[in-house]
Amino acid sequence: MVTAERRTRRRLAAWMLVLAIVLSAFVVRLVDIQVVRAEQLSQESEARRSIPITIHGARGDIVDARDVVLADSVFRYDITVSPRFVRDYTRTDQATGEQVTRPVAESLAALAAIVGGDATAMLAEIQSQLAVEPEDDHAYLARGVTPDVFEQVRALGVPWVYWERIPARTYPNGQIAGNLVGFLGTDGPQTGLEYRLNDCLQAADGSATYERGADGVRLPGTTVVAQDAVDGGTLHLTIDADVQWFAQQAIAEQATAIGAEWATAVVVRVGDGHIIAAADWPTVDPNNVNGTAPENLGSRVFTWPYEPGSTLKAATFAALLDSGAATLADQVIAPRRYNTIAGYQIGDAWDHGDLRYTTAGVLTNSSNTGTAVLSERLSLQQRHDYLTGFGFGTATAVDFLGEEPGYVSEVDAIDGHTAVTQMFGQGMTATSAQVASLYQALANDGVRAPLTLVTGCEHEDGTVTNLPPTEGEQVVSVSAARDVITTLENVVTQGFLSRQLTIPGYRVAAKTGTAEVSENGAYGNQRIVTVAGTAPADDPKFVVVVTYGKPDTMKTSAAAAPTFRSIMTQVLKTFRVPPSTAPAPSIPLTW
Amino acid sequence: MSAVPFTAAPRPRRVSPSQGPLEVVATRSQRRARPRAAYAIATVAGVFAILLTQLLLSIVLSEGAYTITALEAQRIELDRTAQVLTERLNVYDSAQNVAANAESLGMVVSTVSPAFLLLSNGSVQGSPTPAGAGSGVLDGRGDLVGNVLLADVPLVTPTAAGGASAATSGVPPTPLSSGSLPSASSAVPSSGALPSPVTR
Repeated sequence: MVTAERRTRRRLAAWMLVLAIVLSAFVVRLVDIQVVRAEQLSQESEARRSIPITIHGARGDIVDARDVVLADSVFRYDITVSPRFVRDYTRTDQATGEQVTRPVAESLAALAAIVGGDATAMLAEIQSQLAVEPEDDHAYLARGVTPDVFEQVRALGVPWVYWERIPARTYPNGQIAGNLVGFLGTDGPQTGLEYRLNDCLQAADGSATYERGADGVRLPGTTVVAQDAVDGGTLHLTIDADVQWFAQQAIAEQATAIGAEWATAVVVRVGDGHIIAAADWPTVDPNNVNGTAPENLGSRVFTWPYEPGSTLKAATFAALLDSGAATLADQVIAPRRYNTIAGYQIGDAWDHGDLRYTTAGVLTNSSNTGTAVLSERLSLQQRHDYLTGFGFGTATAVDFLGEEPGYVSEVDAIDGHTAVTQMFGQGMTATSAQVASLYQALANDGVRAPLTLVTGCEHEDGTVTNLPPTEGEQVVSVSAARDVITTLENVVTQGFLSRQLTIPGYRVAAKTGTAEVSENGAYGNQRIVTVAGTAPADDPKFVVVVTYGKPDTMKTSAAAAPTFRSIMTQVLKTFRVPPSTAPAPSIPLTW
Repeated sequence: MSAVPFTAAPRPRRVSPSQGPLEVVATRSQRRARPRAAYAIATVAGVFAILLTQLLLSIVLSEGAYTITALEAQRIELDRTAQVLTERLNVYDSAQNVAANAESLGMVVSTVSPAFLLLSNGSVQGSPTPAGAGSGVLDGRGDLVGNVLLADVPLVTPTAAGGASAATSGVPPTPLSSGSLPSASSAVPSSGALPSPVTR
């Protein structure tokens, strides 16, 4: 009895022990999995199922003053494939309810037909990737396809075909303001405002994950957004796309006709210095950058300083009148030749004896020798200060990508000849934008407003950054500025280009310029022709500057006059500027 | 040794089985405190009711989740459609396209003499002169401001004379939004068959 009882008890104890060991083994394993290695394991499993994806924010738009979209963010799609899952698949035919097997070749052929690729090349690519890496999970079938194409691909329903939404850029207006907007390359912004103000435009990408089953099918409802994408800000320009188009069309037409090398046209609003149009020819269509030579990708308006020639005389005469060195009625003799320093002479565009001009007459007839005589009334320092005061030698407030400051010689470095020629725009350089800024100041009663191209960057949360400076600067007195504008009306009413410059119903003040071009250290027969002016002269609203570089067939400012008039007319119409009511006053030009 | 017959000692009194056991009688308050079956049934039923409600609720919720998913998918589709249409509209809206279409319809821009008709008093400001037949901006000269996106966009009215880049005959006209861009609409047509106010 005793032994039997004891045996039973022992057996029980042994079982208990075994149980305890097994149980504690489980507990240890449990703790190990659930506590010790919990994080690592869950990460591993997560990584096996979940696929990280980048959510792309939309890059900000670039819009003109009327919210016409110049640069637009759109989404395109990369069609991708997971090579390791590429195999025949069965699906249920919706019509008959039968199981249909679709071979890989057939799927790829259907895909290739949609995206416009080569099915055999696709298959070869997939197989070569698999040969290198059997577990390969990613390969591109087509990149950057439009939403239409993407929807067709998706409709195929091939289980191993995936897609990624990628941001892309489109420029619905093509070449209109293409010179200003710039463009994006594969590595981001390349030039123009896209590059310069990338901080405003660029979006912050977000991230998310989704889960995928063992058969490679994306599980619905498993997308987890870790970080939302932030869209870029909208960049507002002062440009009016319609005026910009008109200006580009006008200069392109005339530049082709006269065989110019390049052309620019600038339209500036007098009141605030806003650039309504800054046209370049030749220029770029940002949708098709390769169609344009690299030197034409930017904007010559800002990056191409040249000797402006006689259009600069407006600054000289404003300086003369402002400093009190001359009045409009002063009697001047413009000689045939004006000697500056030994061996250097200044002459006029036409041959003449001594001409008896008033100050106004010198400016109206654009006499270089008369200008030289009058310039001597200003000290070297004064000449320098007025030129720099009008903004020459300093880049404009636009601060365009690659903008050039132009060149104005320092007082202590200038020679006796350049000290005179710079007063009629030779021996100094300026960009079209700077010339426009000069005329804006004169038309605005002597107050030079900072040239403005960007009015601000509007972010998603409503804040606006990149606000432009608005503080104007009084360069010359009100009366000096008005006297110059009044004098320049004579160029239109009495000058040799009167017919090409007159806009019926409006008083126009304009100055022509036919500048010699210095090449290899000498002035040859190449010219840069300009017409700059403002209208209506009795209450100036807009400044237009049209410039043609190195024309072949017509080397005088007569080439630029018709374009100046058509652009000015279009601007006056577009902005509904009321016509002038009184005729231009008559000023004595000779004595 | 005694004459007294042996009798069994008297046994202690026992409860006779037939009498039934004695019970501790509960007081009325104790009785009242005793749980009743009704309560138990109510509780169990309640639990089941809650479970059932929860089940139904989660069914409704998950159905809602499916609806949300479906609607979100629909929103993405509609966003995509909106993007495609906006993209197309912006291209149609470009000045090149509007100008080419306007001129193909016989409109010209007067680049010579701007004039305005004041609707307030019917007076004409400026000195209007008729625009010549050749004063259009394009006027068969071709659009010099390129836009590759317009390559496949036909003119609304295909014209033989129009030199617009977009002219493609044989393609059915694409419906266009009426171009309301100022460069086209602000031009006062000085001649033409359109019923417009006479400005001269």
